[in-house]
Amino acid sequence: MALSKRRRSCIILLFGALLMKALFVTIGLVVALLGGQYTLIISKKSGLSSLSTQQVKDLFLQKRHFIGSQRVIPLNLVGQHESRTLFESSVLGMDRDRLNNYWVKQHFEGISPPLTQGSFESIKAFVQTVEGSLGYVPSSMVDSNVKAVYEF
Amino acid sequence: MRLYALGLSVLLAAALHAQPYALGQGYHVGEGLNVGGYFSSEFEMKGSQETFTLDDVAFMAYGDINPMFSYLAEFESVGFYHKNLSTGDESGDRKFHIERLYGDLWLADAYNIRFGKQITPVGYWNKEPINVLRDSTSSPLYSKLLFPKFLTGIDIHGYVPGIEAAQYHLFGQSNRDFDPGYINIPNTHFFGLAFEKEISNDWSGGGSVGEYITAVGDQRTRFVQANLKYDDSTWQVMGEALIAKSNYTHDSDDYTLSGYAQGMYRYTSQHAFIGRAEHFKDHYTRYEDNIAVVGYSYRPLYPVSLKGEYQWHSQNDEDRALFSFSVLF
Repeated sequence: MALSKRRRSCIILLFGALLMKALFVTIGLVVALLGGQYTLIISKKSGLSSLSTQQVKDLFLQKRHFIGSQRVIPLNLVGQHESRTLFESSVLGMDRDRLNNYWVKQHFEGISPPLTQGSFESIKAFVQTVEGSLGYVPSSMVDSNVKAVYEF
Repeated sequence: MRLYALGLSVLLAAALHAQPYALGQGYHVGEGLNVGGYFSSEFEMKGSQETFTLDDVAFMAYGDINPMFSYLAEFESVGFYHKNLSTGDESGDRKFHIERLYGDLWLADAYNIRFGKQITPVGYWNKEPINVLRDSTSSPLYSKLLFPKFLTGIDIHGYVPGIEAAQYHLFGQSNRDFDPGYINIPNTHFFGLAFEKEISNDWSGGGSVGEYITAVGDQRTRFVQANLKYDDSTWQVMGEALIAKSNYTHDSDDYTLSGYAQGMYRYTSQHAFIGRAEHFKDHYTRYEDNIAVVGYSYRPLYPVSLKGEYQWHSQNDEDRALFSFSVLF
């Protein structure tokens, strides 16, 4: 009887573990299918359809100003919003200290950090108005007025 | 002196109209005007001599006139004030020179043009020549004696099509230097091609070839250069090497070899330890030196730098201790 109880407990534990694993796999699949939390958007008139991580990094570090013949104007969200922190760490690959040091060096080179906007709404409005401007907004804000070129 | 007054006026006007200021990133007056500057002071102990120098005092302005055109102007005084603390002698050169004056035409990813007086786009060290951006007070001989630090001409540059994160510079000068008294190698002809590649987030490398003819003596020199760097948040290891062949008008050709390897350990974001080994050999003048440098760098903020180092030279009587304080504003 005692052995049967232990066996039942083991089966329940095993089943529970399998259920949890399935749940995590499902969540992972849903996130992968839905894409990233934030999306880089550009004017729908732009000829660009997608950007590589390296291209995004070079554009936001003001190392390059064009993709092909398209002049690109990167836009940052002002302040320390989690989207900016996530963008800097996962796309630019730099923490805030390293990034600040980078902009000090660029000041000597005559290069300023990207323009900033106060909200996601103003980033989206800027992107719709100024051709070539590129900024990140929550993926839920992407609609037919703008073009998605990168997700993170 | 007039430039000095002009620089101060521009800085004052900028301060009154600027956005919130961040030290080391200049006053951002508008897209068309950012202003800033830097200075450095140095204390040297060599043998029985002790000297103090207020070395670089510089003002700079830059901005975007429109999305296709930007500019940069920099005026600098070197050796602004010098005092030999052993003898009490004082001297100084308060004349401001044009350090850089150029415009940028942004045309396409693979093709942009910089024209005017600019830093020669070769290697790492030459592109960050000011004390506050360096991690040691001294610069290797490599960066001072082997090619002109400045170019008064055109640099066509951009990303190499088909190779990710790779850039090229094709530069040329076929005239005298702008402010020739203020360049390490005054020349009348300087052409070169440089290539650099960001291999990963931490690794980069590159190389260049070039040729110049000195303004005095018509000495023609051709050089080949290579550089490699690893840099993460804690360690930085870098090296550069160059071989140059010079044709002398009344003498046979000869070679100069130079290179250095430098390692830096960032104990914290403020404190770092630096070690450098350098070799320099000029077969023509028969000057050869091997230099070892150990140093310490303290940055309470990144644009404020306090550094100390000691140099050992294979040449007699060249050993010295250097201390410096510099700020970029």
